[in-house]
Amino acid sequence: MTRVALRGIRSHLGRFLLSVLAVLLGVAFVAGTFALRTMLSTTFSDIIASSVVGDAYLRGAQETSTTSPTGLGTERNRIPLSVADDAERVEGVDRVLPDITGPIVVVGSEGTAVISGNGAPSFAMAMYDDDPSVELVDGRAPQGPDEVALESSTLEASGLAVGDRTTVVVGGALAEVEVVGEAAFAAPLAGAVIVMLDVDTATAAYAPDGTVATMAVYGEEGTTQEGLVDALSAAVGDDTVAAVTGELLREESEEQVQSALGFVSTFLLVFAAISLFVGAFIIANTFQMVVRQRQREYAMLRAVGASPLQVFSTILVQAAVVGLLGSALGVGAGVGLVAALRGFFATMGMELSGRIPLDGFTVVVSVVTGTVVSLVAAAVPARRAALTPPVEAMRDEVVTHDRRSVVRAAAGAVLLVGGIAAVALAVRGTEDAGTVLGLGAASVVVSVLLLAPTVVPAALGVLAAPAVALVRPLGALARGNVTRVPRRTASTASALMIGMALVGAASVLAASTQASTRVIVENESTSDLLVQSATQAVPEEVVGAVAALDGVDRADPVRFAALTVDGTSDFGLGLPAGAFGSALDVEVVEGSTDRMADGEVAVQRSRAEDEGWSVGDTVTVGAGLGERELTIGAVIDSRALGAPVVLPEDVFTELVPTTEAVIDTVFVVAVEGADLDALRDDVTDVVRPYVVVSVLDNEQFADELADQVDQVLVILYALLGLSIVIAVLGIVNTLALSIAERTREIGLLRAVGLGRLQLATVVTIESVLTAVFGTVLGLVVGTGLAATLPQVFADEGLTELAVPWGQLGVLLGLAVVIGAVAALWPAIRAARMDVLDAVSYE
Amino acid sequence: MRALAADPGVGPIASARDLVKTYGRGEAVVRALDGVSVDFARGELTAIMGPSGSGKSTLMHCMAGLDTPTAGTVVVDGEDVGRMNQRRLTRLRRTRLGFVFQAFNLIPTLTAEENIRLPLDIARRPVDRAWFDTVVDAVGLRDRLDHRPGELSGGQQQRVACARALISRPAVVFADEPTGNLDSRSSGEVLGFLRRSVDELGQAIVMVTHDATAASYAHRVLFLADGRLVGELEDPTRETVLDALRGFTPGDGDGHGRHEQPLAQTAGPVTR
Repeated sequence: MTRVALRGIRSHLGRFLLSVLAVLLGVAFVAGTFALRTMLSTTFSDIIASSVVGDAYLRGAQETSTTSPTGLGTERNRIPLSVADDAERVEGVDRVLPDITGPIVVVGSEGTAVISGNGAPSFAMAMYDDDPSVELVDGRAPQGPDEVALESSTLEASGLAVGDRTTVVVGGALAEVEVVGEAAFAAPLAGAVIVMLDVDTATAAYAPDGTVATMAVYGEEGTTQEGLVDALSAAVGDDTVAAVTGELLREESEEQVQSALGFVSTFLLVFAAISLFVGAFIIANTFQMVVRQRQREYAMLRAVGASPLQVFSTILVQAAVVGLLGSALGVGAGVGLVAALRGFFATMGMELSGRIPLDGFTVVVSVVTGTVVSLVAAAVPARRAALTPPVEAMRDEVVTHDRRSVVRAAAGAVLLVGGIAAVALAVRGTEDAGTVLGLGAASVVVSVLLLAPTVVPAALGVLAAPAVALVRPLGALARGNVTRVPRRTASTASALMIGMALVGAASVLAASTQASTRVIVENESTSDLLVQSATQAVPEEVVGAVAALDGVDRADPVRFAALTVDGTSDFGLGLPAGAFGSALDVEVVEGSTDRMADGEVAVQRSRAEDEGWSVGDTVTVGAGLGERELTIGAVIDSRALGAPVVLPEDVFTELVPTTEAVIDTVFVVAVEGADLDALRDDVTDVVRPYVVVSVLDNEQFADELADQVDQVLVILYALLGLSIVIAVLGIVNTLALSIAERTREIGLLRAVGLGRLQLATVVTIESVLTAVFGTVLGLVVGTGLAATLPQVFADEGLTELAVPWGQLGVLLGLAVVIGAVAALWPAIRAARMDVLDAVSYE
Repeated sequence: MRALAADPGVGPIASARDLVKTYGRGEAVVRALDGVSVDFARGELTAIMGPSGSGKSTLMHCMAGLDTPTAGTVVVDGEDVGRMNQRRLTRLRRTRLGFVFQAFNLIPTLTAEENIRLPLDIARRPVDRAWFDTVVDAVGLRDRLDHRPGELSGGQQQRVACARALISRPAVVFADEPTGNLDSRSSGEVLGFLRRSVDELGQAIVMVTHDATAASYAHRVLFLADGRLVGELEDPTRETVLDALRGFTPGDGDGHGRHEQPLAQTAGPVTR
C-alpha cells in the first residue's frame, strides 16, 4: 500500500506541490520565529557575557521598585562611591570599578544626533584602563571633560573619525568634545550608541551625589567568586550594600532579557500559529479534493480487498510525505528568512549575533508541527475515503457528498450567540473586561468559520448578482460553481477571512487610537507649544533656557519616574503646581489641583476607584531618596498624563534622584498677546544646539503620536501579509483542483461554443467571488469586534471610535486583485485544455 | 453513394472528402480514418455504426470541428472546417452546430431552461421565444424548466440536451451515443424526438451509435470499419441493421465470421 501511496504522489505531483508550499510557508514562519528569538537572545546574551565580566558585583541591598522606566529589572538603592575604596582593601580583591553610566546624545558628522533605530539605548560610561570588557583599538583613552572615545559601530554610524570635534549632550548640558579614541567590546551591540568618558567627567555627570548603582569587582588569581562575595559581604556588606557573584548578576540579566523578549516572541508565535492554521485549511481542502477525485480508485482498492484502515493509511502516508517535505523545506526557508532579516537590520545599523540561529529544538518543533498539522488536516477526508463503499467503483459519476452538517451549524450558532453575549458583557462593563472581550471575540471568529458554509449560497448569490447581470452567462456559471460545494468555498475563503479580519481590526484600532489621541490632546493640552526630545529625555538646561525667553509665560517640565506607592511599584509624574489650569486642562473629579501648591498630590480616577482613595486620604510615596506620606488633594481624570500619581514638582525632586527621572515633555505657555510664530522661532533657536530636542504645537504633537501608531500598523500589515499570501495560495489550489474535477463539464462548455477567453473569465470570476466573500466576512467580523474596543478600553485612553472606511475600501479592492491574480494560472490551464480530450476524459 | 434526398438544388449540409486521420508516428501509426467521403443531407437523421476502432467517433469529431483531420476536407454549412482556427471553430460550435453526448451533457449548476439557452447566451444572441416554446414542448419538458439536472431522470436530461442542441437552429446536430446510458423507454422518447425534429422541424442530425434499435430510427445508416466506409442502408429497421452488421463483422477475410479456436487441444490423456 505504501507503493500505492507514493506512486499516487508522483502521478499527481502538481496537486501536492501546492500543499507542500502551504506547509512550507506555515512552518517557515514557525521556524523563523524560533530562530529569530534565538538570535535575539543570543545577541543579548553575548552582550551580557562580554560586558558583565566581573567576578563579583556590589549593589544596593534594597529593591526600591520592581518596575523601571526601561522596563527591565528592578530598581535598587544606590551605593556610595566610597564603598569602592573599602572594597579594594578586602583580601583577594584585585580592583573595583564602579559602573558610572548614564544617557548621552552624540552629534554626528552631519550635525544630527547619532540615534540608533529600534530603540537601542544611547549611553556613556566611564572608561577604565584596566577594564577587561573594553579594548582600545585606536587613539587613546579620554582625559578630561572635553575628550571622548566612541565605540566602534557608534563611530561608524556617526561618520566621525578619531581626531574630529563634535558636541555631546551629557547630564542635561551641552559640551564640545574631541574624539580621541575608538573602543571595542567583544560582542556586536545591536545598534547601541556608546560613548566612553573619563572617570571624573562621568562621575560628575552620572554620580553627582557620589552614588552609583553597581560596582564591578575583579578578584586576584586563584580566588573564587563565592569566596570573593563572602569576603566583601563581611567587609562592606550591610542593609544598604550587597555583594553578589558575577554569575548571579549575569543570570539575572539574562532573565530580564528573556522576559523582555518573551513578549516579542509570543507576538511572533501568534502569527506563526495563524499562518499554520491558515495553512491547515489549505491542506485539508487539497486532500479533500484529491480524495474526491480518486474516489473511484479508492473504491476499487476496497473492492479488491483493501481494508478501510489500509486506504486510510495510504492517504495518511501521502499526508505525512507532504508534511515532512514541506516542513523540511520550511525550516530552511525560515532560516533563510531570518538571515535576510539579519542583513536588513545590519543595513539599519543594528548588528545582531553572527551565529547561525538554528538549534535542534527549532528543527524538531517545526518539523513535528508541520507534519502533525498535515496529518490532522488530511485525516477527515482520509476517513471518508476509507469508508467509501466499494460499489462506488462501478458508478460512472462521482457522487459528491456534501451533507449539510447540522451539528456543525448548531455548534457555530451556539458559539456565535455565546461570543456576542461575552462581547456585550465586556462592553457593558465587567471585571476583567479585556479577557472577556478576547474570549468573546475568539468565539465569534470560530463560529463564523463554522457557519461560513451555511451562508455561502445566500452571500455569494448577492455578491455574484452584478456579475450575473452584466456578464451572461459567465456570471451565472461562475456563481453556480462557487455555490456548488459550499463547504469547499467556505474553507478556501476562510483562510483569507482570518487574515482580513485581523487587518480590519488592526486598522480600526489604529484609527481609533489616533482619533482618541487627537481628542485627548485637543481637550487637555492648552499650552501653546510643546518641547520634546527624540531620546525621550529633555535636558534640564532647556527648561531654564526656554523659560527665560521674553514671550514665554511658563515652561512646565513633566518629570517622569518609577516610584513605590503604598508599597507597590508604579510610575509617577512631577509637575509644577501652576501647570494645571494654564498648560493643562484636565477634568477634576474631586478636590482641587490648587492644593498641589500646598504639597498635596493628584491621583487618577481609575486608580482612586481601584484603591478606594478619595481627597484627604494619605498615600506613602517612595523613590531613591526616601519616602513621604502625602495627602491627596485632587482626583483627576486625565488621559494625557499617563501615570496614576502626580506630585508637585518640589516634592518630586525631593524624592527622586535626578538620575532616575526624565523630563518627558515641556509645556510652554506664551504671555498674553505674544506673537506665536516669533515665539516659536525663538524657542527653536534655543533648543537647536541640543540637537535631539524639537518644538511642536498641539496639532503636530497629535500627528507625531499618530505616526507612531502608523509605524506599528505597518509592521502588523507586513506580518499579516504573510497569512494573506498563504490564503491566496489556497485559492489557487482550490481552483486548480476544482477545474480538474470539472474537466468533462469544461469540455462540454467548449464543445457548445464557449471561447477560451470566456472560460478564463468564468474561472476568474469564481476566484474573485471567493476572495471578496472571504474579505467581506473578515472585515465585517474584524471591524465589528474592533468597534467594541473603545467601549471596553475607554479608561486606557481609547475614547473615540474611528472606522477608516477608505482603508477598508482599499482592502476590498485588494480582494478583487487577489482573486484575479490567483485565477491566472488555473484560468490559463483551463483555457488550454483540448476540447476533445476534455470531452472524452475518463 | 445514392443520390441526395428531396431538393437536388440544395447541396449537402455537411460533407467530407477523402478524410484521413492518423495518430502516432512511424511503426505505431494508427489510421483512425482511412479516406472517408460522405455527404449528409438536410432534413435527414443519419446513423453511423461500426465496431469499436472503426473510426465512427473520429469521423464525427472531425465533422464537428472538435478534431483536425490529417488529410482531406470537411465542409459544414458551406465552411471549410478543416482550415479553421480555434476561435472560428469555437464560434461555429456556438450556433451553427449542436451537440448531444452520451453523458455529462448538462451543467449541473444551471436549470433546465438555462441549460437549453446556453449556446445562445454564450453567443449573446437573443432567444427566439416562439422557437424556444416549440422545442421545449417538443421534448415535453415544459413543467421541468426550473429543475436542475440533478432533479431530472436520465431520459429527461438527455431530452434537455437535445433541446439545447436545437435551440440555435444549427445546421447540423451531432449526437454521440445519445441513448447509450438510457433504459429502453427513455431511449425511445429521445430517439423519437430526434426523428421528429428532423421530420417536422427540418433539422439535420448525425448520430453515432452501436445500438441497432437506435439506428432504426434513422433515415439512413452508414457503416464504418477500420476507418473506411463499408456500407450503407436506407430506411433501416432493426432486423436489416443487424443483418448488415453481421455481414460486416471483421473476420479472417473469407467471410466466415469469427474463427473459433478450441480452448484446449486434446493431445493426450489428461489423467493418469
